[in-house]
Amino acid sequence: MSAGVELNRPSSPSGGFGGNIGRLAVRLVIYAFSIFVILGPLSSLILWSFAEKWFWPNTLPQEWGLQYWSRVLEGKMAEALTVSFGIALLVTVLCIVLCVPLAYMIARYRIPAKPVLLLIFLLPQAFPQLPVFTNAMELMYRWDLVGTLTGVTLIHLVGALVFSVWTMVSVFQSISVSLEEAAVNLGASRIRTFFTVTLPIAVPGIIASSLLVFLYSLDEFTGSLLIGSPFITTMPVYMYNSAMGYEMQTASVTGLLLMIPGIILLLLMQRFMKSEYMAAFGRG
Amino acid sequence: MPNLNTAATAKGASSSVIRFLAGVLMIAPATLVVIGLFLYPFAGSLIGSFRTEAGKWTFTNYAYVIETYYMDLLFTIFICLISLVLVLALASLLAGWLRLKADPFVEFLFKIPLFVPFVVVGHAMRVFLAPHGTLNSLLAATGLFNPDSLPGVAFSTLGLIAALVWKNIGLTLLLVMGAFRGINSSYLEAARNSGAGGFRLIKDMMIPMSWGTISVAGILTFTSMIGNFSIPAMLGDAGGSQMLMIDLYYELIYRQDTGAANALGVISYLASLGAAIYYVKKVAKS
Repeated sequence: MSAGVELNRPSSPSGGFGGNIGRLAVRLVIYAFSIFVILGPLSSLILWSFAEKWFWPNTLPQEWGLQYWSRVLEGKMAEALTVSFGIALLVTVLCIVLCVPLAYMIARYRIPAKPVLLLIFLLPQAFPQLPVFTNAMELMYRWDLVGTLTGVTLIHLVGALVFSVWTMVSVFQSISVSLEEAAVNLGASRIRTFFTVTLPIAVPGIIASSLLVFLYSLDEFTGSLLIGSPFITTMPVYMYNSAMGYEMQTASVTGLLLMIPGIILLLLMQRFMKSEYMAAFGRG
Repeated sequence: MPNLNTAATAKGASSSVIRFLAGVLMIAPATLVVIGLFLYPFAGSLIGSFRTEAGKWTFTNYAYVIETYYMDLLFTIFICLISLVLVLALASLLAGWLRLKADPFVEFLFKIPLFVPFVVVGHAMRVFLAPHGTLNSLLAATGLFNPDSLPGVAFSTLGLIAALVWKNIGLTLLLVMGAFRGINSSYLEAARNSGAGGFRLIKDMMIPMSWGTISVAGILTFTSMIGNFSIPAMLGDAGGSQMLMIDLYYELIYRQDTGAANALGVISYLASLGAAIYYVKKVAKS
């Protein structure tokens, strides 16, 4: 091995011939490992979604077809798809309306008992959702919200709010106060300053945060299963039901449909992803 | 702290009342939703765990839960610890390698799990690792293995670990990579020049220098694994020990014993205290 330094020059091998082969081998092993580990399970879903007949021990499906994909557009699955997207859209809009002013206040103003307010929005991230949601379910029984769209939307909203407040606070904190002060000094009212100076700068961040909220609601399972049943079936719950009934193809088609928005989002905002935005995604 | 308040202080008492009301109006709705549907039920589960159906104060819920589920509790902690060690080791090695040789393709691949929903991960692992799953039919197709003697890991311990590691690798890698990228290249170059190989750089420099971030990532990942319901629910019956959240769901839905379900919930809160302390410290700092 040579002592060549190539920390920031990934494609400039400076070692001898043996070193090059060694490095290439390491890279190839890592590629093979990554592709197998990440794409292996996912490709199983793709195979199953096109399999009309697949019996063990055939390596590949005996009959291929689009039969299960065509069911997306009809019946129960279409219903689950509509419900899921509808709720996700509603949750996203509610989050924007409620969180933009709140996050702006947290980022800019002195609020009495601010640490308490911050903890209210941070602690839900620390604890498991299931035991809390089972108790929320009892409350919702009292208000007749179990099995209703309102109930499911509310339970999604809790997690979504916690997540979106934090991302939006960091969006507003990244905008320089001096811009706002300049506008105020020139005689603009605070409200006008917010709408003509701050908000336009914050829009990309707000959009990024909203897309993640949309995805959170689309993927939410625990709350939907508890609060939605038996009348409201979202996509993840539909997928759970079909997998439990060993309908492998239906479950795989649903799973792939659930993945598509996330993959699109990943391609779109790869470069803008910050780890603090993502912390709330490690939950389920 | 920027003080925009001063601009309007002279406008008199009535405008300050209006501003106060406007502030309350902006803060209250979101806060009330989180209090009403998270903090209040959270308190409810604490109280409920110490009460009988009839409303008497008692420890019987805990006695019952610990007697019935102590094996499951140990099993859950065991699964989460093993998964955690694997995630942290894999993330550190990958992040170290990516720090030395930027590789957008591998980086992209490992971000995919971030955006795959938990339920889908559970289902994908089930299809992939089941006794008659795609991995085994692939192995059988190579002709090196007898298809009927291949182990099926989906419904067992290994399947759970694989799914938890798979789902959490995205976030952990993102956090650890952030820390590794923050390390000044000149340190690494110096070590390189005195003969350290890639693995030594990761083990003796990057990991010790990023220990803070790695432990935070570890605490958050561990909590999320303990509280995860979707993955064990999707992977189904292991026949044998269960994850804590599955026991909780079972107590609530099938035995309708809310006291026991709440006691299991409180035990899971205790296991998540690390993350709670981290967040409290974070607020204290800001």
